[in-house]
Amino acid sequence: MKYKIWIGIVALGVFIFAIPQVLEGYSMNVMNVALLFSIVAYGISIMMGMGGQLSFASVSFMGGGAYFIANVCTNRFGINMPTLPALLLTPVVFAVIAFVIGLFLFKLKGTYFTFSTIALVQVAYTFFNNYKPIFGGADGISGIPTLNLFGYKFTSYNKWFYVIVACVIIVAVLVERIRRTQLGRSLASIRDNETAALTLGVNVYMTKVIAFSIAGALAAFAGALWCMHGKFVGADMFNYANAAQFIIMAMLGGVNNTIGIVVGAILVKVLPELLRSLQAYMQLIWGIAIIVLMVFMPSGRAGLYERVREKVGSFIDKNKPGTGKEQPHETSSKA
Amino acid sequence: MDFTLFSTLVINGLAMGVIYAMLAMGLILLIRAVGILNFAQGDLLMFGAFISSSLILDFELPLFIMIPLALLSFCIVGLIFMFAIYWPLRKASYPAATIIATMGASIVLKEVATFIWGALPRSLSPILTDEAGKAAILYIGSVPLQWQYVLIIVVGSILIFLIFMLFEKLYVGKMMQAACQDAYAANLLGVPTIVTIAATYMIVSVLASVGGYLVAPIFMVRNTLGTLQLRAFAGVVIGGFGNIKGAIVGSILVGLIEVFSTVSFSGYKDVTVFLLLIVFLVIRPQGLFGEKIADKA
Repeated sequence: MKYKIWIGIVALGVFIFAIPQVLEGYSMNVMNVALLFSIVAYGISIMMGMGGQLSFASVSFMGGGAYFIANVCTNRFGINMPTLPALLLTPVVFAVIAFVIGLFLFKLKGTYFTFSTIALVQVAYTFFNNYKPIFGGADGISGIPTLNLFGYKFTSYNKWFYVIVACVIIVAVLVERIRRTQLGRSLASIRDNETAALTLGVNVYMTKVIAFSIAGALAAFAGALWCMHGKFVGADMFNYANAAQFIIMAMLGGVNNTIGIVVGAILVKVLPELLRSLQAYMQLIWGIAIIVLMVFMPSGRAGLYERVREKVGSFIDKNKPGTGKEQPHETSSKA
Repeated sequence: MDFTLFSTLVINGLAMGVIYAMLAMGLILLIRAVGILNFAQGDLLMFGAFISSSLILDFELPLFIMIPLALLSFCIVGLIFMFAIYWPLRKASYPAATIIATMGASIVLKEVATFIWGALPRSLSPILTDEAGKAAILYIGSVPLQWQYVLIIVVGSILIFLIFMLFEKLYVGKMMQAACQDAYAANLLGVPTIVTIAATYMIVSVLASVGGYLVAPIFMVRNTLGTLQLRAFAGVVIGGFGNIKGAIVGSILVGLIEVFSTVSFSGYKDVTVFLLLIVFLVIRPQGLFGEKIADKA
């Protein structure tokens, strides 16, 4: 296992070093946004991959985070916070908000919870799009200051890249960590069998609410970064179609695969830019790709790798008894 | 608000409610039959609207040929939908996979429609027109009502009633229900589950697509018609848990609320419907007709 970690670190180093050399301007912007979106997708991974709860609400919390920054950093209400504390405050504020909302929404189960998150997205989007005093209405809010890190201003997309990569790495480590804590295992037990989890003493309701709150905080953090990065926030980003896009992103990469999530986000955002000539067919190709993916590798691209390894592994293990490893957090549900 | 406006709004609201009810009923049928939440329900409606617009505008068929042909093609769409989205996934190990696949199907249906019929909205004239080709108007007393809305209510209600009867009263419906509850046992008893599931998918497709044909003159035929399904989702939750009657009443309620709130505060009409939904979830999570939520172990 050790060498794999080193390969990973080297690959990451090459990625961080090479991307800003190759890309600039618009293409760098696309790459940054893709990485930002992967933070939102991590939130979905906690909800859906670990807990088995399909929630659309992340996109609204992302919007909430973005509008929060747009209001407290631009002197709209006489508040003019420095950008760094505002950025750090956002996930805290929205963790609390998501916690309270989660308390209500998780009175529902399964499909009906999903419906309620769709309702949340619709309500939030309508307010973002119509309420001028706070959300700027259909025009959105522009002139948001860029991140100011102890006097160093991130003025170009290439400079932003490093911040965003650092944030993604922190979030990825956090998610990987949560997977191995009591919370992660409780969530996995809820996903696999809610009734069994309940009888085993898992506080199902509270565990779900906490997961929802973490997902909300991550999405709000990504939203805050996103609006500082683009210096603009508009309501169009936070509608139902984009909420579905985030879920597709998380599923494509492998909803339980920490590295796969980033790959999924990059696939969804960057691939359409690379294949400009196919632009007209791109959406159609995506749609078909998603269906085919779900048929052949339901836990995502990375899931395929795991399945192949499982098959090949069990073949090898037959000859070498006692080397089979248990990976409880990656078992797929049979519910 | 005078009486004329009020009654027009009631009729419009009821009509939209019936459309949502057709979608919602299909949703519930699919949840009961195969346990899948279908995120492409609204896109089936959109596709139905495009197919009927094509039969009317491109092939210029008279109504009595067009209707059976349209119904047949709706059934075929339903079958294709089932064999593409449900059949390969029926043994999927990851429960969210089937739902995500319907989201993919939603994109595919939208894009295929754009691909075949172009991105521009097409306008379809109302089913009943006067001599000048304008929408025919029904006068009840001094109150003018558009025939199209009345027709939606009548046709939609009849269709919903027939399918409700099929599932609740007829032997075939009982067979279909049995196949939903326990496919394995039903198979042992000689119920061909694949046929009953295919029939369910065809019925769902017909319900949604007829809805599309009926609303097409009001909203024009465009590939964003699929968003109507969000209101149907709201109706399903307000009505109650997996309950067809509840879903129908809830959807009609959503239609009425939507129309009346459009008059009062147009920009926020979505807020009223969905806030009501959230309030319902908090106060009465089991919905209007639902029973107390219980888990199957």
